[in-house]
Amino acid sequence: MNEPEKKTEYDVIIIGGGATGAGTARDCALRGLKVLLIERHDIATGATGRNHGLLHSGARYAVTDQESAQECIKENMILKKIARHCVEETDGFFLTLPEDDLGYQAKFVESCRAAGIDAKIVDPEEALRLEPSANPDIIGAVRVPDGSVDPFRLTSANIIDAKLHGARILVYHELVDFIFEADRMTGVKVLDHVSGEISSYYARFIVNAGGIWGAGIAKKAGATVNMFPAKGSLLIFGHRVNNIVLNRCRKPANADILVPGDTICVIGTTSTRVPYDEIDDMRVTPDEVDLLLSEGMKLSPQLAVTRIIRAYAGVRPLVAMDDDPSGRNISRGIVLLDHEERDGIKGFITITGGKLMTYRLMAEWTTDLICRKLGIDKPCVTATLPLPGSRSDRMEDISGKISSVHLNPVKASVGRHGDLAGQIAHKDDYDLSLVCECEDVSVGEVSYAIDNLDVNNLVDLRRRTRVGMGTCQGELCACRAAGMLAHAKECARDARKDLVNFMNERWKGMYPVSWGETLRENEYTLWVYAGVCGLTAEKSEKDSKVPETKED
Amino acid sequence: MKFDTIIIGGGLSGLVCGISLQKKGKRTLIISSGQSALHFSSGSFDFLDRMPDGTPVENPIEAVSKLPAGHPYSVIGRENVAAYAGNTKRFFEECGVTLSGDPDRNRFRITPAGVFKRTWMSIGDFALADSDREKIGERILIVNILGFLDFNTAFIAEGLENLGSQCRCTAVKIDELEHLRKNPSEMRATNIARVLDRQEVTDKFIAEVKAALKDEDTIVLPAVFGLKNKSVTDSIKSSLGDRKVVFIATMPPSVPGIRTQLQLRSVYEHSGGEYLIGDTVDKAVVSKNSVMSIGTVNFGDMSLEADSYVLASGSFFSKGLVALPDRIFEPVFGLDVDCPAERKDWYSTQLFDRQEYVSFGVRTDAGLHPFKSGEPVMNLYAAGSVLSGCNSLYEGCGAGVSIFSAMRVADLISNKEE
Repeated sequence: MNEPEKKTEYDVIIIGGGATGAGTARDCALRGLKVLLIERHDIATGATGRNHGLLHSGARYAVTDQESAQECIKENMILKKIARHCVEETDGFFLTLPEDDLGYQAKFVESCRAAGIDAKIVDPEEALRLEPSANPDIIGAVRVPDGSVDPFRLTSANIIDAKLHGARILVYHELVDFIFEADRMTGVKVLDHVSGEISSYYARFIVNAGGIWGAGIAKKAGATVNMFPAKGSLLIFGHRVNNIVLNRCRKPANADILVPGDTICVIGTTSTRVPYDEIDDMRVTPDEVDLLLSEGMKLSPQLAVTRIIRAYAGVRPLVAMDDDPSGRNISRGIVLLDHEERDGIKGFITITGGKLMTYRLMAEWTTDLICRKLGIDKPCVTATLPLPGSRSDRMEDISGKISSVHLNPVKASVGRHGDLAGQIAHKDDYDLSLVCECEDVSVGEVSYAIDNLDVNNLVDLRRRTRVGMGTCQGELCACRAAGMLAHAKECARDARKDLVNFMNERWKGMYPVSWGETLRENEYTLWVYAGVCGLTAEKSEKDSKVPETKED
Repeated sequence: MKFDTIIIGGGLSGLVCGISLQKKGKRTLIISSGQSALHFSSGSFDFLDRMPDGTPVENPIEAVSKLPAGHPYSVIGRENVAAYAGNTKRFFEECGVTLSGDPDRNRFRITPAGVFKRTWMSIGDFALADSDREKIGERILIVNILGFLDFNTAFIAEGLENLGSQCRCTAVKIDELEHLRKNPSEMRATNIARVLDRQEVTDKFIAEVKAALKDEDTIVLPAVFGLKNKSVTDSIKSSLGDRKVVFIATMPPSVPGIRTQLQLRSVYEHSGGEYLIGDTVDKAVVSKNSVMSIGTVNFGDMSLEADSYVLASGSFFSKGLVALPDRIFEPVFGLDVDCPAERKDWYSTQLFDRQEYVSFGVRTDAGLHPFKSGEPVMNLYAAGSVLSGCNSLYEGCGAGVSIFSAMRVADLISNKEE
């Protein structure tokens, strides 16, 4: 039980590999702390990876929540500097439709300016010239510095830099229990989902950065954090319909943001309170799809004729204010809980609430608190120090450095990995062979990800390289990548099971929108994987040595 | 323009129907939009792998009598299905496509994922195993072409090793194929097959295989040979002497499937049939339960007329059926489609479960006449995967339904006119 002399292995253990956890790991590591991060799935799999990918200007919150708006615009400008390879500066329009009150526009612009957001009223005709996909019936438009951000890339860059500064990252490691010594939390018991082993790790401070799952994590520690899971559903379209983010100029509501990203665009979101015990299995309903489509078409009528690739949903971690026992008063801002002060649990901190946009600030607050408690006086540098991938001065030069030939897969990999793309081998024709034709992912890039980026399975690989994210949703590339993983991990059976799981995971986002081209594509996928390849769901559970029939 | 029969769809079903009618002296036209399911074929034909309840089928001819009334085989009739199944090998042999297998017995093929899967007859070079526990060799060399990612040797090796064989994987480099990689997306089965159709390139491949060979008794190769030049396949078998050579299907495109498509089309055209490719039927005049004429995109206002019409347009992938968020329709004639009204009943949330939408299609009467507004269209016939009543993927009956319904339609059309 309580061994008398326990060595503190780490200064900080962070639970949760979303943007907040990754950002906190980076900030702590940059300030010289010895850091361990544990994540039960892959990085960026919770709310971090399940949103619009909108680089908010803060304009959306300007009227209703000045504080959030100010935080957003500050972080917006910081991310444009430190995470250039994750960000696209598209700008955004707030459109007024004939059914909306044009009177709201003046108040909106005034609130934006008060928050420090550069908001300009644009003539509707000029707005339509700049963004021809917008609804031609608009009666007003305001231009703001919105953009798009790739949340996975952003999280990954934070993880890479944390590692470069000595942090240890354990993905597929789940918290089983906390370890206490008297009134002090001293460690965690962790289950390794790959090996099945349970290990203990010790630290002076333990940070709960579990997003919506943070309520359950706090409960394990004996603390109560009141959270209200709010499901938000989104649709991904197969083309980049708009180049400028489109919002509705009204009080925030359902399906009123259309964000372009890479070759696609995303409409969202709905907002539904869901029971806490359902947060691990978010599925998009047909009604939500219909609502997203009908509202989205008001922003851009083109969505009516654009193919939908996937539907997906995330869960926002809304936190009830501590001083409100009814739980109705929700904080939309950052919530940093020092459980020593609040609950008498020494060494335990929860960071939650907030938004993807404010992950860096949340990390800064958390790290400041830890440093203060440790008596360390080191300033935060994350607002100015570029992330790995964004350190070269000119992005355009990077692909030139990597290869004298500007081949598509090389260009695409620079888009995905920034200046780190230089580490991808494109030395011979084999490395340049395409694994994924929709997204231009080469053998070299897949090998790089398998070797360097903690890839355990095809879903991990998809997040790092976009394999299987194009319009075909993994028809051939999934099987090719599974073959490469089979070689790398030296286990074909696991790779085959993984392939079945991967295709099933892709289907989860497709069946809510399974009509038209999506259904066609799926029929083809089934012909290939169930028909030609003979893959079955049973195959992934049963021992493949068991004969299929009991004939003579 | 006037024909005896116009067939909409140039895949397996349309071609079998067209060839059968040409043999009976009819003047036919096939209108094909391009790709067919043969382009992503497994290299084998399924007849009936399992019953709708999942029971595996050993003898498909016997099993047909136990199928429900609405199943295409039940509509075609048990006796007819047995007769067509008995004829299939000869029919294809006469078209220059050699099939192996027996009409009344299912066997197993080895899939590109290394799984043993039930099937009925196999095109040419594929080995069929009598059971899913049968070793194809003791020591097996699995050979791939360097950089070809659609032939997964690790999966195949694992599948064969499970049965107790020893496997070794290797990849050979062929200079003539290297240029395909200059544009990386060109490393596809059919593009490789085109180069290997040159005997001197296949000879180089054989030499590389011989050099890699140790004491293996069996050689597994990707099915990328003999797209148009069948003799290269034979040369591999003869050059490798007493070693057993087994071809395993690649991921699509399917070389044996496309070879079969090309071969059937050529036989059809040689017998006088007209094959229009790259056109889509977009107009149809139906009056008093009869099709009066049809029109296509390329023909514009000019209409095409025939005594009878065959709808062999396939299912969703081939656009024989089209799904909207709230309904599924048949786009050429607006025929009645069997399917539930609610979208949530179209699919299962688990991809590899039985997907109901695969079984949707047009309902027909016993004469394979589809219905429009509740009435059968008497000079129109439906064949192949546009038919409702079976889940071709779950039951493994796609090729059988295509071939037998096409043969049945050809018989019905010629009997009617006699």
